[in-house]
Amino acid sequence: MPNPSTSFAARMPALQVAEEKYSAYLGFDAQGIRVYFRGTISTVNPAVVLNPFVDAVHAHVLEASAQEIRVDLTGLEFCNSSGFKSFIHWIERIQQTPEPKRYRLRFLSTKERKWQRTSLLALSCYGINIVAIDGAA
Amino acid sequence: MSPFETLPRRVDFPIQLLVRMSPPWVFIDEIRRFTESFCACACPGQDREAQVALAVHELMQNAVPHSHGEEVELCLEVSRETDAIAIRVTNRCSDEDYQELSDRIDRMNREPDALAHYVRMMREHPAVTRGGLGLARVRFEAQLDITVRREAGRVIVEAAGPLRAPRLPAVGGTHA
Repeated sequence: MPNPSTSFAARMPALQVAEEKYSAYLGFDAQGIRVYFRGTISTVNPAVVLNPFVDAVHAHVLEASAQEIRVDLTGLEFCNSSGFKSFIHWIERIQQTPEPKRYRLRFLSTKERKWQRTSLLALSCYGINIVAIDGAA
Repeated sequence: MSPFETLPRRVDFPIQLLVRMSPPWVFIDEIRRFTESFCACACPGQDREAQVALAVHELMQNAVPHSHGEEVELCLEVSRETDAIAIRVTNRCSDEDYQELSDRIDRMNREPDALAHYVRMMREHPAVTRGGLGLARVRFEAQLDITVRREAGRVIVEAAGPLRAPRLPAVGGTHA
């Protein structure tokens, strides 16, 4: 019988977005779904690009019935407050999902980018029970 | 007597950085990076540079769209002697823009808990629209007090606070 996670990985579409200074894409490894954000999110309204990406990832996570996914910010140099709103949008999408299907976002951060520590602290206060943080101490 | 002994004693003068730029927006990333490096040199060991760089980025990004194509000025002052840091961003703006900004900062400063205000702004400002979070982010994440004033048709937004800011709680583990 095929492993459900493996079969999901095989069916997983190549979800990605990219602008001049940043990119985001959906990946999959032995620990499950991992969403990568790279570069510098500092355009005027990055939500135009990132929110549809987040929506598509959200749909696939629901389809995979994942309990938790990892959001990898270790390659993200900076994110302005407008870009930060896409993470808020993501949390809101999860909050709008019926309880049994909700999943957790485990953010992977790096202490090399000190802003991540405080930004994720604030985000965890908005997404109680949804946001978990690994990495920067 | 050594020639060095005739030199005046080193005084901890305030350190100042002044940048005047005409928009466009794309240079804000470069200013943020430069500010971070500058601050790391100006106040080594204070672990303040990332917070200051974030504040500079958000304040500049607020200023540029309201500057009507005219120059935006950034002034960063650091004083190790008085344990103070101040960022001032100055740009031309309309009376209406100034009033709206001033009201927003007044409302923010009436909320004593910077984190509570920040989280409320996340809830109140739709994630699909631009704006509404920057000042709250600066206040909480950079731990700076924000004031605004108007001089000769220009608005001056100042974010100021101690150089040795108290540490925010460390993150890690699950906030569940």
